[in-house]
Amino acid sequence: METFVIGLSIASILFMVALGLAIIYGTMKVINLAHGEMVMIGAYVTVLATKHLGFNLYLCLPLAFLVTAGFGLVIERTVVRRLYGRLLDTLLATWGIALILQQLIRIHFGLGLFGIHIDGLGSDLQNVPVPGELQQTLHFLGANIPVYRAFIFVVALLLGAVTWWLIYRTRFGSQLRAVSVARNTAAACGVNDKRVNMLAFAYGSGLAGIAGVLVSGFKTVSPDMGTPYVVDAFLVVVAGGVGHLAGTFLSAGILGEVQSFVAMWLNDVYGRTVLFAVVILILLFKPQGLFVSRSR
Amino acid sequence: MDERMKHRTATIAAYLLFFAVIFALPFFLNSFWTNRVATYLVYSICAVGISLSWGYAGILSLGQGLFFGIGAYMLAMSLTLAVPENNPVPELMLLNMQPDAVRDLCCVTPGSFLWIPFRSVAFGMIAAIVVPCVLAAGLGYVMFKRRTTGVYVSIITLAFALIGQLLIINNQPLTGGFNGLANLAWLEIGGFEFDPYGPSIYYLVAGTLLAVVLVSRAMLSARIGQVLKAVREDEARARYLGYDVENYKLFIFCFSAGIAGLAGMLFTLTAEFASPSLMATSFSISMVIWAATGGRASLLGACIGALLVNFVGSVASESPAFQPVWPIVLGGLFVFVVLVMPNGIAGIVKDLIGRSGKARAVGQEVYP
Amino acid sequence: MQNRRTFIKASGLAAMGLAAPAILRLDGRAWAADEIPVGIMYSLTGTTAIVEKSMNQCAQMAIAEINAKGGVLGKQLKPIIEDPASEPRIYSEKARKLAIEDQVPVIFGCYTTASRKAVLPVVERRKGLLVWPTWYEGEECSKNVLYAGSAVPNQQLENSLPWLKKNLGKSKLFIVGSDYAFPRGMAKTSKTICQGIGMEVVGDEYLPLGHTEWASMVSKIGSSGADVIFSNVVGDSIVAFYRELRNQGYDFEKLPLCSSTTTEVEIKAMGPEYAQGSYVSLPYFQTVDTPQNKVFVEAFKAYAGTDAVTHAAMEAVYIGVNMWAMAAEKAGDVSPEAVVANAGGLSFDAPQGKVTIDPENLHSYLTPRIGKTRADGLLDIVDQYPEPLLPLPYSSVGETAEKRICTAGGAVL
Repeated sequence: METFVIGLSIASILFMVALGLAIIYGTMKVINLAHGEMVMIGAYVTVLATKHLGFNLYLCLPLAFLVTAGFGLVIERTVVRRLYGRLLDTLLATWGIALILQQLIRIHFGLGLFGIHIDGLGSDLQNVPVPGELQQTLHFLGANIPVYRAFIFVVALLLGAVTWWLIYRTRFGSQLRAVSVARNTAAACGVNDKRVNMLAFAYGSGLAGIAGVLVSGFKTVSPDMGTPYVVDAFLVVVAGGVGHLAGTFLSAGILGEVQSFVAMWLNDVYGRTVLFAVVILILLFKPQGLFVSRSR
Repeated sequence: MDERMKHRTATIAAYLLFFAVIFALPFFLNSFWTNRVATYLVYSICAVGISLSWGYAGILSLGQGLFFGIGAYMLAMSLTLAVPENNPVPELMLLNMQPDAVRDLCCVTPGSFLWIPFRSVAFGMIAAIVVPCVLAAGLGYVMFKRRTTGVYVSIITLAFALIGQLLIINNQPLTGGFNGLANLAWLEIGGFEFDPYGPSIYYLVAGTLLAVVLVSRAMLSARIGQVLKAVREDEARARYLGYDVENYKLFIFCFSAGIAGLAGMLFTLTAEFASPSLMATSFSISMVIWAATGGRASLLGACIGALLVNFVGSVASESPAFQPVWPIVLGGLFVFVVLVMPNGIAGIVKDLIGRSGKARAVGQEVYP
Repeated sequence: MQNRRTFIKASGLAAMGLAAPAILRLDGRAWAADEIPVGIMYSLTGTTAIVEKSMNQCAQMAIAEINAKGGVLGKQLKPIIEDPASEPRIYSEKARKLAIEDQVPVIFGCYTTASRKAVLPVVERRKGLLVWPTWYEGEECSKNVLYAGSAVPNQQLENSLPWLKKNLGKSKLFIVGSDYAFPRGMAKTSKTICQGIGMEVVGDEYLPLGHTEWASMVSKIGSSGADVIFSNVVGDSIVAFYRELRNQGYDFEKLPLCSSTTTEVEIKAMGPEYAQGSYVSLPYFQTVDTPQNKVFVEAFKAYAGTDAVTHAAMEAVYIGVNMWAMAAEKAGDVSPEAVVANAGGLSFDAPQGKVTIDPENLHSYLTPRIGKTRADGLLDIVDQYPEPLLPLPYSSVGETAEKRICTAGGAVL
């Protein structure tokens, strides 16, 4: 039972990071390797806002969303926009962006070169205070469940629901789906595909920012904290089936549980190994992803 | 002059110039720069492999680092055993064995018998090329028979490399773990010792680069090159035309892995160590970036790209003015290359040549 | 626009200027006669930059202090700083630059063993010298490395394991570490010591480096029946580990944790409330009560800012720079052979107390200490040896004071 709960909590973090990536990759065919840096920026927003503005963790959620969405917007408008249709090029360009963003944090956005230092930036490790009520432990069906993990789980579910509503129940969502299936046809029908792309990229980045806030509660904040996430999240997205929210959701769940159970039975090294192996098998035998019901 | 002829002449001239410069360089370099440029040429070899599989066949492997790393380990194992103190059993095994274990390679630690054939340096050198090929063949066979393409290939190779890295780190008694293998003898062939800082290693690497480029060129101008181009442009059509697309792709994937293994082996000679950090995702992506900067569909471009990116990176990180911002310089370079010169340096040079001739109407193609 | 153009021109010139020495066939650069170039090589970017940056600062501070007192052999030390970017591959490349191109007689550098292993062939083949600071797993006996201030497993374990048993009455040990040589070496030595004092090792587990998902491991520790944890976890994983212990409801009073790696830097990084009450076994803490340490802490705060903390790896850098200078003065020569030949037996009044270089293995006699983390992120020293302890780099494979494995002639296993 405890192993299952741990799996769920690994899954919910995977899901949160992967969700934004799923939208960006699924609808725009952009491999955004700077997505991990959006997580990192979300975490830094939390550090700065708690240090300088006296915010608590909850207030940081919307703030981080806005800030990272802003970063996403800028990246889309300056770089990614010119690369639509060149999938593998986006991978290289966003890797470059990731390097730049990391170093910008280290040198205080350049101010460090002039001797100006902002408390909370730089290459040091930072941390975020977690509200007391989230540091408790619940007892449920014989398992100890940390409240913070449960909180992440709930937020992940909420974000999933909101995103589902946005994509399947709003006008923006139908435009987004139209663009992702047939960009030119959609544009011909009067959908402003550039605007849709821009907003989708910003929204996806914003989700990563929220993930960053939550992640900052249980690990250190440092300029290169985002890199490991992007690989994992990308595996989740691809294994789940591109452009399918439910697929991302389920594959995050499965991969989280796989890692948790193998780590319990053997050890964490094999947990990771099996996780990667499962992804390879999924891609080999269901190249469209696990949960695709129809093919285009 | 005929456009094609002109292009051909220019290409040959470029190759001649490049290799003339490369072979003349050691006369002007001190031992440090000889060693450093030799290491960069190792990266060039690697970039040629990427250019072949990515630029010419559309297979973007993000696991090239694994093949490079395995190549490095294979020779490093032989050179570890060539150190007198490591006889009969390497120190790393003595440190990790059970106290009552027999001090022999057969059984000092579980799996240590795998090291036995590496007592022969020739075996290590051959294994450095063959093992990556065989691994690539296994993975490639499954991938291409399942008709995996595009980004899925990239992700699968990436995950494959991550598994390899985790397992090597985890099996410390056998592989040296995270620290890798560092106490290595110098390569000795027929009584001649290759000094990593001397011209001997440099010319070994440069000669290998030349050979790799020549073989690749020959291969590309043969039928297989034409088929690969067809595959890159439209895989389905090539298949309808009756070509066994999968086998061609498998071949080029293995060939490229073999080149990476060869480069890894030479890396062990110039850098004198092998470590699992060579298998990291970031290093694999760097390799792709070298090829992209030089021009992914140009073997010569890839060579120059690898030299240039590494040179700029080192110089920027060593100048006091650039030290705090060198990752930004490097990141900016990648973005710039992708946005402004999608076919890399080679693409720009080609355009310049094309423009000076009068008819070159074809716009810049962007390869996948 | 104008600015940008000037910038591009300037960068072009800078690149050419830097490339210029490449054209010369001469090995090395000409240095002014009154200067001694010394290499400083700690990562300023990449994963371990967090700690290494402070080590870089400390090395520069120590050199500035020595220069202010007149330098070494009447010459000023001129630091050449390289950024190896936390990658062994670049460590190797930069070490070559320092040793061959810049011809420095000494490199102060490295933080992880993986990086030292990448540098080792360079200094051994080129007859250079590396001054290595970090506590590590031992199992090395190079004559081109001065292990000044760096603790080896016996200096962190001989004191702490018996202390946990005697003072806290704990006997079931769970050893947890990151997956590489240091934690594995520590675990081997721990098992030997535990056998001798009647403690039982109920778990010995590893997590991939940089891994931050601790939920499974912490729950494994909980169900193992352990009553005390010994942690050899490094880097980012430390913070995630302590926070996960807290989140799963463990309490250091009931399940004590002793770490060999958690310094003031990591405690500050995780938020001291998560580490409060946990133990650390290292030869140096910021709170060490010696006159030298008061001066050291104040000097470093003046140098790097008032909220800077000092820690063991940094103090070791300070020891390394100073002891190298002492050995060079004694030898009357800065060449690596002369410095190594004269380093054995030298003593330095370091912030942690007296540090002496053992002439056999070039490691250091250090004072083992146990600290208990306070609410402000510093540590109260709850136990310390009266005398510095002999370093035994091969204690993981049974080296003892009577039966030395690493001697002046090298290691014989």
